[in-house]
Amino acid sequence: MTSKTRYFVIASLLVIGVGLGTGLVAYYVGFPAGAFAARGGPAELEYVPRDAAVIAYADVRDVMTSELRQRLRSALPMPENGQRELEEKTGINIESDIDRIVACLYPGLEGTNHGGMVLARGRFDEGKIETLMREHGAHVEDYKTKRLIVADDSNGRSGPFALAFVEPGFVALGSAAVVRTSIDLHQAGNNPQAGIESVTGNEELMNLVRSLETGNAWAVGRFDALTSRAHLPETVANQIPAITWFSVSAHINGGVRGVLRADARDEEAANNLRDVVRGFLALGKLQAGSRPEIQAMMQSLELGGTGKTVALSFDVPLQVFDLLDGLKKGLQQPQLH
Amino acid sequence: MNRAATKTPSVLASAMRIFDLSLGQMLWSRRSVFLGLVLGGPVLLAAAVRIIVELYARGFRINGATATGSTVFGLMMWLLYIRFIVPILGVFFGTSLIADEVEDKTITYLFTRPIPRSAVLLGKYLAYVACTVLLVLPSVILVFFLIVPMGGSSIAGEFPALLTDLAMLVLGLIAYGAVFALVGTRLKRPLIIGLVFAFGWEPAVLFFPGYLRRLTVAYYLQALVKHEMPSDSAASVLLQLFHEVPSVAASLFGLAVIVGLALWGAGRAVENREYVLEQ
Repeated sequence: MTSKTRYFVIASLLVIGVGLGTGLVAYYVGFPAGAFAARGGPAELEYVPRDAAVIAYADVRDVMTSELRQRLRSALPMPENGQRELEEKTGINIESDIDRIVACLYPGLEGTNHGGMVLARGRFDEGKIETLMREHGAHVEDYKTKRLIVADDSNGRSGPFALAFVEPGFVALGSAAVVRTSIDLHQAGNNPQAGIESVTGNEELMNLVRSLETGNAWAVGRFDALTSRAHLPETVANQIPAITWFSVSAHINGGVRGVLRADARDEEAANNLRDVVRGFLALGKLQAGSRPEIQAMMQSLELGGTGKTVALSFDVPLQVFDLLDGLKKGLQQPQLH
Repeated sequence: MNRAATKTPSVLASAMRIFDLSLGQMLWSRRSVFLGLVLGGPVLLAAAVRIIVELYARGFRINGATATGSTVFGLMMWLLYIRFIVPILGVFFGTSLIADEVEDKTITYLFTRPIPRSAVLLGKYLAYVACTVLLVLPSVILVFFLIVPMGGSSIAGEFPALLTDLAMLVLGLIAYGAVFALVGTRLKRPLIIGLVFAFGWEPAVLFFPGYLRRLTVAYYLQALVKHEMPSDSAASVLLQLFHEVPSVAASLFGLAVIVGLALWGAGRAVENREYVLEQ
């Protein structure tokens, strides 16, 4: 073997060795996609208690000003009563006052059906909101230097509701217990030894969150949290594939681009799920026919993922939403006669 | 005469000598330089994608839809490595194991040595496996580290799939090399026949129902791929619909049978064939 050949073999084996070694360390030590990757996710996750079953995020401003939203508004003018009512009662205009929200869900919290919280950043009229809640029977408590506006549970199922202005322009509202923990996290920071830990310490969930950051709206969570809230009949529930985690990420602007992802219990369950999705995809693609806008959408559907993960990426172009406009006109036509 | 001097070395010892001689020849041949460029292509592509995504984009898009790094890596594995690079390496190197020596009229020097003819083939085949593995695996590993961390997939999460991919690619190179070694030793114009087999017969026969697809390497190899088959064309959609996947054990057994039979057939051909060198 010549020295040139020997050097090549050594260099090649070095690349293989370093690559496999790095991968092995990552696999066993568990450093994220890079040891170079940031914590990931919006900063508000620091104030979300650890045991969240579902987390959702939306860049409200981005979504509200998107071309898609404008198109949908003109195609299907939605009644603005609810939006106006919320503005009158709280002073919050969803379109202009809220920049982004993070929501989380805690099933079975404190013996209730569920608990949850929404963290919103934006511009809020604190006095108006407090007055309104007081008018509806809420009372104000001091909790660790923060004013906590608490409304008792009227139906006795979901527990007391609370709202707190954690920082200027940053409000937490939802189940009182979750909001209190959120304030704890804001005051004391992440402190697992003291039993106060944010969801950023849940590496499994954060790995999923990091994979969703390309979207301006996303949700991630345990699949059982969804099915338990859906109250499905037993026969239907038994047919649902064994999924542990689900996530959906979308980028909404001139259309909707995104990825749906499900982590199955094992590879067999993932293969079963893939088979089902693959069948529907193939059928859909063959049935797309001569509608170019539908064809483009169907062609964008891409099944992916390895092992226990099943991922489906999609791109719904703006033109597809024009169909809604056509549908609306079609529905209106008979009324003209 | 000295007894040690007349003793014929074993097939394995002879094969290792030929391996040592052939590895350097293969690595620095014009063919390897060309295929090195072919293998550098995916790495350059991955690097370009990574730079563009880091600097300008907010994630991968396939057909306009956002995709994870793992999905993109899976697509690259299917479209670049499994469907193109592994078969083409098998065709170019496998068919030329003996054919190159015939063409260069140097086969006589090897066959007149006191070693079994089949050892020449075996040594060259092992050199092919080492050469292609040393070219392909670093390329795949570099692509993996460039592509997977983007779009949120984690190296830790995808590492087991990488190990499966590397093992599958090595098996593919071994199997395709053996098949095309047989083609190279038995048939005239082995390169053309090899190309027709790899890019004509194999993709086409996978559409046919029945047992015909079992006469391909791709049928067994694709069953070992963990990544989802891309649906980039109507043909791929049909292939997905009629995709029959044998078990891992059946695939490994099938590949072992193919390699065993092909190498045995190639060895027999080399042992028995009279090579007439054109003047």
